[in-house]
Amino acid sequence: MATKTIKVPKMVNGAPTAEVEEIQVEDYGNQSWGPKDKHRLINTKIPRVDAPYKTTGTAQYTHDVRVPGMLHGRLVTSPYAHAKVTSIDTDKAMKIDGVKKILAIIEPGGEIYHEGQPVVAVAATTPEIAEDVARAVVVKYEVLPHVITAEDAMKPGVQPLIPARGRGGGRGGNSQGTAEQVDAALKNCDAVVEVEYRTPILHHCCLETHSCVSDFRGEQSATVYVSTQGTFTIPAEAARELGVPVTGVVQHMGGGFGSKLAGIGIAGQWATRLSKQTNTPVKLVLTRREEFLTSGNGPGSVQKFKAGASKDGVLVALNATQYSMPGIGNGNIAAQPYQYKAQNVYRQAITLATHEDGAVPMRAPGHPQACFAMESLMDELAYKIGMDPVEFRKKNVTDVAWHRQLDTGAKAIGWDKRNLTPGAAKGPLVRGMGCAIGAWGGGGGAGSQVDITIGQDGSVSVAVGSQDIGTGTRTYVRAIVAEELGLEMTDVQEKIGNSMYGNSSGSGGSRTTASLAPALKDAAYNARVALSKIVAPLIGADPDAVWFDNRYIMGNGKAISWKQSCAALPTAGLAARGAFQAPLAGQGAHGASFAEVEVDIETGHVRVTKMCHVQDGGLIMNRLAVESQINGGMIQSIGMALYEGRVMDAELGVMINPAFNDYKLPGAMEIPELIPIIDDGDTRDVVIGIAEPGNIPGCGAIANAVYNACGVRVRETPITPDKILNGLMQMRRVNA
Amino acid sequence: MNAFEWANASSVDNAVKLLKPADAKADPDEMPHAVAGGQDLLTTMKAYIVRPPRVVNLKTIQGLDQIKSDGRGGLKIGATATISDIEENAEIKSKFTGLAEAAASIATPQIRHLGTVGGNLCQRPRCWYFRLETVQCKKKGGDTCYAESGQNKYNAIFNTGPSNIVHPSDLAPMLVALGATLTIAGPDGSRTIPVQDFFIRPDQNVRKENILKDGEIVTEIQVPATTAKSTYLKFKERESLDFAMSSVAAVVELAPDKTVRKATLVLGGVASIPWRIAKAEQSLVGKPLSEQNVAQAAALALEGASPLEHNGYKVPLTQALVRRALNHLNA
Repeated sequence: MATKTIKVPKMVNGAPTAEVEEIQVEDYGNQSWGPKDKHRLINTKIPRVDAPYKTTGTAQYTHDVRVPGMLHGRLVTSPYAHAKVTSIDTDKAMKIDGVKKILAIIEPGGEIYHEGQPVVAVAATTPEIAEDVARAVVVKYEVLPHVITAEDAMKPGVQPLIPARGRGGGRGGNSQGTAEQVDAALKNCDAVVEVEYRTPILHHCCLETHSCVSDFRGEQSATVYVSTQGTFTIPAEAARELGVPVTGVVQHMGGGFGSKLAGIGIAGQWATRLSKQTNTPVKLVLTRREEFLTSGNGPGSVQKFKAGASKDGVLVALNATQYSMPGIGNGNIAAQPYQYKAQNVYRQAITLATHEDGAVPMRAPGHPQACFAMESLMDELAYKIGMDPVEFRKKNVTDVAWHRQLDTGAKAIGWDKRNLTPGAAKGPLVRGMGCAIGAWGGGGGAGSQVDITIGQDGSVSVAVGSQDIGTGTRTYVRAIVAEELGLEMTDVQEKIGNSMYGNSSGSGGSRTTASLAPALKDAAYNARVALSKIVAPLIGADPDAVWFDNRYIMGNGKAISWKQSCAALPTAGLAARGAFQAPLAGQGAHGASFAEVEVDIETGHVRVTKMCHVQDGGLIMNRLAVESQINGGMIQSIGMALYEGRVMDAELGVMINPAFNDYKLPGAMEIPELIPIIDDGDTRDVVIGIAEPGNIPGCGAIANAVYNACGVRVRETPITPDKILNGLMQMRRVNA
Repeated sequence: MNAFEWANASSVDNAVKLLKPADAKADPDEMPHAVAGGQDLLTTMKAYIVRPPRVVNLKTIQGLDQIKSDGRGGLKIGATATISDIEENAEIKSKFTGLAEAAASIATPQIRHLGTVGGNLCQRPRCWYFRLETVQCKKKGGDTCYAESGQNKYNAIFNTGPSNIVHPSDLAPMLVALGATLTIAGPDGSRTIPVQDFFIRPDQNVRKENILKDGEIVTEIQVPATTAKSTYLKFKERESLDFAMSSVAAVVELAPDKTVRKATLVLGGVASIPWRIAKAEQSLVGKPLSEQNVAQAAALALEGASPLEHNGYKVPLTQALVRRALNHLNA
């Protein structure tokens, strides 16, 4: 950092006057953002620059891409959970007018491991014909026994049934003690709880299903459009199929939530192969049913606990067995005791494979499941020792950030007015409150390359290939550069979502902003330094003693407008490049959620009336986008808590709710008063990703609020009316 | 969906002609099919549950969408009047309040603007298994009702077998409670029957939910004049968009001394047809809607319920709805 004294003309109404004054400015260079409260654009509320395009429907998603002459791909998928393909007969299908290609994905003799697994891919001239062709392909199967339920999967000898991906049946643990030590410690506890919590497999439910348009015409290069979280996965993965250099395009994305981290995915793989074999562009869009059955999911969980606390509020001992249920994939549940410390911990982590599509990362992988279980457990212990659940948490957290956040959230929700005796209110409408905490990494990393071009006409374009998965990348790309160069948002044009531009990382682990923002800052700083060298002599100033503000470059008591400055550039303009700067990024995001619910004890209906989430995130790039991100997280946690879950028929081995009518997402009527709070008590002046953490603690907070309201502890999500009514009936039987 | 022929009907007679099956012995789900709003039909066609060779558009029949007075204080509702038309009709809102409430409880505004009264009465069940193309359940000509021993949280608690569906219509229980009739047009002319007699149980014909024969359509619903108060109370798991987990349509006529002259109670979401609970109705006649009498009626309403493994909660839920509906009409 350097403090500079610069002579500038006094500005009146945005224009320089003849009067000269001296100003002191801090130049933080490219290794620090400077203090959080000193920014002109970043850390303020900036409306999304692409909002007009998205709200008017002109933003182009992969679903919208149509290229001349393209064919339409379609998949034939297995109706069985476990089977062997015995034959594939394409005779009838090949006779349909408009069919162009049919290729086997699983050859006869190959094994199927889940319902919906792609078996054959077809291409035809229209989507309707492609569907007819797919249905006319006759695939015969030898049906094999399947495993669906946790109980079946836990049976000895069952796991080897599923060798797919070689990932099933894993074991792990992070014990800080032995089971015996934990048992001994539990004997001295004032309160002991032995419980089991379950969460079903959840789905990402992106409004844009996985999709790809492979624009290859048998020539020497191709352009491939994919709805993916990693623009730069496209060139290599598509080129493997197409055999020519590929430009990847991800202009806008209709949601990812982790499901689109697997490169070009199934849609990309089969669109490119069909395209290669037909020398024709092919579009392949997964149907909603396929999206549910074969595009990945978030693992289910069964978590068994025996835990004890002392009456002064110390979590003394925990024996946890965490079963993860990622189908045939991999997917761990975050380790217990989650964000708490316990004196004695014995933990086993076991992966249970079932004949279901494999789990993939899903917004805060493993965390909402671990958090719901641990936060429910903490709540049960708090009530058992008669301690305020907020106080009990504060006594056992691993970081003091949560003290601040729990206090802030408690105030926002009105914790002091909460119901003190669960289930005591007469009803029928009873209210309750609950809380929970969560944590996430959100660190950045190297790999981004940002190129800024300033034209003679004063235009500024910022190019980096990064996709915007919907979190607002475009907006902060502009904001960081505009702020550094003393410009406004409308002065900067962003070019993103294309592999022709500089590299950037995939959007996973909340890492995009923390990786990209430092590189943007670096590029903008380099552009400023380069431009200073050209412009300073024009006003007789030292290049180190000029200041960019208000669309002017100022120094030596003079000011030259941005447009005039740029006119001095050579014909090619000015190019500057930036890369990741580690001191600009940090990691470690903490959050706390509070929920207030109203339970109708005659119908079992739960309505979230108010919800609050407090989130830290270092230096915020765009407060409006972060609030929106927190709101989205809270809404997703309402879905997990009250509505969502894959439902399987264990006998048939099929998912019976693979549609939005039956896999219920919260709608407008389910959204309560949402209070997103950015934790400005966080003094870190670095960028930290907060895409995922807003989704973590909400489910636990709602479950705890339901208990606080009506006295029913529902230990399996979603907390639906039948579970509340069954719980109330059981309570009445016990009390009678 | 399968390719199909689209035919715009110019009149009711023309629609009936267009709906005449080429093969009278074809599977019931492969007959020509009428469409109006298409909000249910298209979902079944996309899943290949219904596979009509020809789809006959009733929306081109002039005047079939009218809601008119019958001149005696009652209503004549054309079959292609939309759910929104019912929901927003001032006369229905004031005199047949329960019918407007039932309409408002359906789906979403977008669906209500397109969906029609006739279509709502003729919609197919929402049972998970029925809606899966890959599952050949009894309603689709198979030999197993998978809901019986499978996931049956949303299925019927008044079961006659051999299928355990619930009827998904919200207008149906209310129209039955209001004593409405409907007119059916077909190759043999037209007939008018009580709405109650329109619906059939799976033990009468497991492939169908109503008495419409091939080539027949519903053309009009008649709601008789009433001085009774009505209400429709629907419980949805998800308020924004859902079918009834349970619902109650209640019509009560009170004497000046606040005793019940006549009560009609019909349940939705609990049986394969709108489930009239005569015993509960009779228990209220001549009595005030006191807490005790209301509770007794609610208990009688669920007499004979035989829940499946996962839907026992519907018993206390439905009792609560019956109590609330009656208390609401007493207020």
